[in-house]
Amino acid sequence: MKKNLAEISVCCCLFMLSACGGKSEASYTQPDGSLDECTLRFSWWGGDDRHEATLEAIELWNELHPEITIVAEYGGWDGWTEKVSAQISGNTAPDVMQINYDWLINFSKDGLGFYDLYTLDNLDLSGYDEETLLFGEVKGHLNAVTVSMSGRGLFYNSEVYDSIGASYPETWDDLLALGATFESYGLYPLDLDIQTGGTAWYLAVVYVQQTTGREFISMDGDLGFTVEDIKAALDFYKSLEDNHVIRTVQTRTDEDGNAALYQSAEFISGKIAGVLEWGSAIGKYESVLDEGVLESGPLLTDGSGNSGGWMIKPSLLYAISADTEYPDEAAEFMDFLLNNEQCAEILGTTRGIPASSYAFNHLSETGQLDGLAQENSIMLSEADTVNVSPYMELTRMKEFYNTAIEKVSYNAADTADAAQEMYDSITEYLESIK
Amino acid sequence: MSMKKKRIYHNPVGVRKSTGLLLIAPFIAGFLLFTLYPFVSSLFSGLKISEDGQLGLDNFIRIFHDKTVIRAAAVTLKYAAVLVPLKLIFSLLTAMLLNMEIKGIGVFRTIFYIPSILGANLSVVIMWQYLFTSDGLVNQLLELINLSPVSWYGQPDSALAIVVLLRLWEFGSTMVIFLAALRDIPKDYYDAASIDGCGRVRAFFRITLPLLKNVIFINLVLQTISAFQEFSAPYMITGGNPMKSTYTIGMLIYDEMFSYMNPNYANAVSWLLFIAIGLIIFIMYKLTSKFREANQ
Repeated sequence: MKKNLAEISVCCCLFMLSACGGKSEASYTQPDGSLDECTLRFSWWGGDDRHEATLEAIELWNELHPEITIVAEYGGWDGWTEKVSAQISGNTAPDVMQINYDWLINFSKDGLGFYDLYTLDNLDLSGYDEETLLFGEVKGHLNAVTVSMSGRGLFYNSEVYDSIGASYPETWDDLLALGATFESYGLYPLDLDIQTGGTAWYLAVVYVQQTTGREFISMDGDLGFTVEDIKAALDFYKSLEDNHVIRTVQTRTDEDGNAALYQSAEFISGKIAGVLEWGSAIGKYESVLDEGVLESGPLLTDGSGNSGGWMIKPSLLYAISADTEYPDEAAEFMDFLLNNEQCAEILGTTRGIPASSYAFNHLSETGQLDGLAQENSIMLSEADTVNVSPYMELTRMKEFYNTAIEKVSYNAADTADAAQEMYDSITEYLESIK
Repeated sequence: MSMKKKRIYHNPVGVRKSTGLLLIAPFIAGFLLFTLYPFVSSLFSGLKISEDGQLGLDNFIRIFHDKTVIRAAAVTLKYAAVLVPLKLIFSLLTAMLLNMEIKGIGVFRTIFYIPSILGANLSVVIMWQYLFTSDGLVNQLLELINLSPVSWYGQPDSALAIVVLLRLWEFGSTMVIFLAALRDIPKDYYDAASIDGCGRVRAFFRITLPLLKNVIFINLVLQTISAFQEFSAPYMITGGNPMKSTYTIGMLIYDEMFSYMNPNYANAVSWLLFIAIGLIIFIMYKLTSKFREANQ
């Protein structure tokens, strides 16, 4: 028995050591230029509207390509990263995946974590400008293609604003001044969070980027802010709390528990009358209020026409698994999702405003581009925007921002100490992962 | 040279030895694949210090310098130190109540077990929000009796308290083990003690507790292990907030593994947690051995 156990242990050890190797370019299945009969797995996350539209698009694909069957794997965002992370680690990732921007850093630091789309002829990239394509490039390999671009904008409950005779703020000073008006009614003009959204630090970064002209983190992962810049951002955040523009972290936690803002009674009842959100994700806030109540507000400026500092990024990207056995077929399917006009019509804006000019032009011609996402997109296109670095989006980085915001909000540290701590943490972390 | 005596196995159903092995094969396969393999694999992962598979102790050494781990360990210890004794006392008292011979006691036993079935799921989280948010039921009741509302979610100690309360509320399994042991104590002991003039309190300390000592130890071990591995309750209810006051080692392992994509470090912390739990149980075993042996 002891001998058997020893043999089993040795086998386990050898098996595990054999799994320790990395991927090299040679291990990709090479494209052969033909479309063979096969089954592809396609995974995405999202809400019901996205699920229904995507399933309908897959039906259209099945009519056009009956030889290539698509198996859909979909669900909500919660736990999705964990699921895909386990699949990628276990070499069982779906052939085609909807991915998040920071996954390029998490899963493909060397550019070999996903299939290099530059090597696939079936994917037409002519509908993309060079800048948009670069978002999906890692170390010269095109790991993913942007589905839609998105930026955070300000959205307000028009009923509440109208009822107290307030106007949507246009400058940072307007925003700060609104706090006193709303306080007299027991309301708040805006809300920021330190949970999954992390909007508290985001707005503070926009403010400092606009006032200093410096980028928080470059696309290559270099910290652009000085300790003083971080302190200025934290001071700005604290002034929002002190002026009753937003709730303190404690008040927010007490009132909402661990619930998301759009699910909270405070937002649904109108006590919280504004939100900072991605244009591509504003639908969930719209859906809990009466139709047309939520309206898009202007991007805040310094009052002298400086609209800089606001940020854009790919809201979603599509990638092909590095382990796929059918790269040609996967590329053909991805091309269908991105560029096919009929598919674009079915998918609409369920993944935001399409980045592919083919899909965008078709939706534009058929009058399907409207709503808050489109309004937000137009506003951002007219502003002097900054590209969000994927490094800014990393979960560990968000942890540093949230820790500092929380300490400042709870008065557990002054802004100078919190800024120094955040600066040191970010610098050390970025050095360790680059 | 002594002859080794061959063991004779009785085979009442008349099947071959290979049939038995075949019958347990699914379990063996499951054990190898889902227990032994991940167990050994996680050790290798924890020792892995570079992408090319180089092994070393760097991850384990880093743990002792990592302020987040130290803080999470302190939270976990505090959580276990508060929860485990409270849960044992509460479960034992409830088990004693449910040991009474009254009509419909089976219904009560079932009702008291329901919270354990629910666990820390979404519906319980929503219920906790209705109870403990600033306008929640608990604060409304406090105001009714002219007490100040409490910042349950917003303050470190009260946030930990509502997580403890959730697990305390799920006392069913511990209670069932106590109840089974209580029902095994012969009534004659209490009758005899009563005749000798022994009161109920004295009977509890002189009869009930000594006869439950092994069961208390089992529950203590099970609840300690469970408390040190806590993940779902703080994850669902507080998200580890405020200011990491409910951020347990279990949550840290999850974050390192899935949020920060750092599986090697997560596995190293897991192994250290495993060793720490083993040590604590060993110390408990040694500390209580005299007490457990005294009344054998």
